[in-house]
Amino acid sequence: MRATVKGRVAIFQPQGFLDGNNAPSFLTIDDIKATEALNVDMLLVSLKKVIFFNRNGLDVFIRLLQDIRTKKHITVGLCDYDHVKFKTINSFYGNALTFSLFRTEKIAELFASSNKSDSKTVLLYNEDASQRSAMAIELFDYGHNPIIAQSKKEFDEKKQTVDLYYAIIEDTYLGMFGQKIATRVTGNAIIYTIANFLDAEIGDTFNIAYHNNSLNAGFRLFIFDAYKVVSMNVHALNFFTKLASSAAEYNATICFVGLTFEKTPISFKNDLEDAGMMFFDNMDDILKNKELMQELGGSSSASTKQTRTLTKALVNELPRFIDATVSTITMMTNATAIKNALNVQTLDIKESKNQFASSIGFYGDVDGLIILVFPKNIAKKACELLIGEETDDEEAILDSLAEFVNIIGGRAKSLLGEHKQHVDITLPRTYGDIDSLMQIAQHKKGVQVDLSFEGSNFIFFLTR
Amino acid sequence: MITPEEVAYYIQNIPPAPSVVRQTLNYLNEDDLTKAAKCAETDPALKLYLKTLINRPIYGFRQEMSDLAQIFGILGISSTQQILYNYLLSLLVPKEWLLFTLSNQAFYDLQASLGRKWETILKHLGLHNRDTESSITLLPASIIVCDALFGTHRSEVDQLRRVKALDYNTILQRLSKQNLFDLCTVIAEKWEISPEIARIVHASSGLDSDITGNERILAQWMHLLLFYELSQSTYVSAGLNEFIDFQIDFVQDIYESFMEVISDESNC
Repeated sequence: MRATVKGRVAIFQPQGFLDGNNAPSFLTIDDIKATEALNVDMLLVSLKKVIFFNRNGLDVFIRLLQDIRTKKHITVGLCDYDHVKFKTINSFYGNALTFSLFRTEKIAELFASSNKSDSKTVLLYNEDASQRSAMAIELFDYGHNPIIAQSKKEFDEKKQTVDLYYAIIEDTYLGMFGQKIATRVTGNAIIYTIANFLDAEIGDTFNIAYHNNSLNAGFRLFIFDAYKVVSMNVHALNFFTKLASSAAEYNATICFVGLTFEKTPISFKNDLEDAGMMFFDNMDDILKNKELMQELGGSSSASTKQTRTLTKALVNELPRFIDATVSTITMMTNATAIKNALNVQTLDIKESKNQFASSIGFYGDVDGLIILVFPKNIAKKACELLIGEETDDEEAILDSLAEFVNIIGGRAKSLLGEHKQHVDITLPRTYGDIDSLMQIAQHKKGVQVDLSFEGSNFIFFLTR
Repeated sequence: MITPEEVAYYIQNIPPAPSVVRQTLNYLNEDDLTKAAKCAETDPALKLYLKTLINRPIYGFRQEMSDLAQIFGILGISSTQQILYNYLLSLLVPKEWLLFTLSNQAFYDLQASLGRKWETILKHLGLHNRDTESSITLLPASIIVCDALFGTHRSEVDQLRRVKALDYNTILQRLSKQNLFDLCTVIAEKWEISPEIARIVHASSGLDSDITGNERILAQWMHLLLFYELSQSTYVSAGLNEFIDFQIDFVQDIYESFMEVISDESNC
């Protein structure tokens, strides 16, 4: 059984009965290797379709989860259960519960990084005050707005107004958490929350793949929320210096907010400033200063000053990227996409109304960004297999478009792998309108391929 | 991926029921076991199948059974009909499974195990009759159809499932507007199997909203029985656990009774 990956969360979904006899059969050696190779922040086992489980059955999955957590510092646990199952799990593990429990997949996603910048208001309650606080801090670090009920009575009253909350968090438990640095998106800025003493371990806990993805996807402002940092050593300093160098290639800015130098040598600040890092006392000094945001690349009107040029290596691989796109459309729709025109140019979208776009970055032996621009009705058609039912819900269509472009990324990775080119793909990103796409793409030169599918045109654009 | 044309081609190529089997079934309908056995004797392939099947350990006969009249006599009309339908289904079993990591032996074991447990369930429910007993035989047709249709599309399905947890039944429904259980119904029609049997099996997908009464009860028990069997190690390893969507809400209210019945059956 392979885990299904959505954003930064991977989930195993066994069905039926789960016990010590059959659980090992769900995970072959190949499955375990594939799981270890996943680039995610969270790995979960869903109990949604498990009608019976016992401790021995769960233990098989828990052992795998814990091994992977040790190696990759990610969050692991169980999700999608009801109150009865929650009680049962607690009775199995009691105080030895070292993994996390999320009542639903939707709740779990709140505790993981995403490419979305929308802050969610959630109602939170846990009998254990330390759990309540831990969850609230994590949720806040991921950019959400937790409303914490201090008593069961208060919680029961507040949850009557269910429409006020994106999610109601109960029967949830944060075990030994993933130790990955919490990440949130605000507008076009990425905020990483760091805390305590920073040492060489930051190389493991900082999600470099996510960071590269964000650079490739066009983010240009990265802020380290360092209010809770006590001090850092020279290893952490080296890490940040290297990060600053790689950011310079993309003309990106990295800032520290709230970092004090009581226990950190002031010379570190000079070194980091020399590397291009900026320091601010308060988050609002950046986020509420429109001019500064624009200058730093974090506002909607900002665009890259330097554009990265196409390389011969990337252009050589163009047929494989187009193959991956065309074959994915054929797979998903049983219809053929036809290539009409191919030009090296900046992205040119003739009709900007009623269009959706999505992008996925890749890096490794070659690096770049695939952008797809669809008329809304064609995006819906292309994603019909993923969406299932007739819907005009734009968020659902955009989510499916992200899954769609993720499949294209996966196929491109396989096709390149056949030709000894190793790449990793990044998180997909979607755009509900062309303006938000053009903020990151308007000055980029790339290869634009006009394709048609079922009589309508769409654009494939490959750039760096 | 699978096209409606591929599905239509598959349906076209479902072989009709052999005349000897149809005639044997007709004699069973007339409650004439003697004539049915004599008729079955005339088809060597059918005779071999019946002898091999009935001598499996799961049937619990201490001595080898070789005489069809004796076999039919011991089994009775309902079980004989069930085994004849199993034989029909064996004609669809592929020489080589492409999608599922399954041997024919493991498939026949699944058929036999489903049949035995289903009989116990029907007795518990007080709904035992010729058609209800035979209905379980059509259920594994969904597995055969799934393997036949998706076998050559395995890598595509794998890629799809990496981003979305879709079962084969849902993928087929979305691509061709027919699901695996619709195709089971087509097979039933082609083999002139009673419509009641086809309805029960179709409803055992857990997706039919318009079923009521005993058909609903039978569908619930069949759905849970299927997942009980598909949760066995052999079938999990074969990939069968993921082939259709387990409708946990559909069966939640019978779960405890089911476990009691299955535990009793296992202890027998």
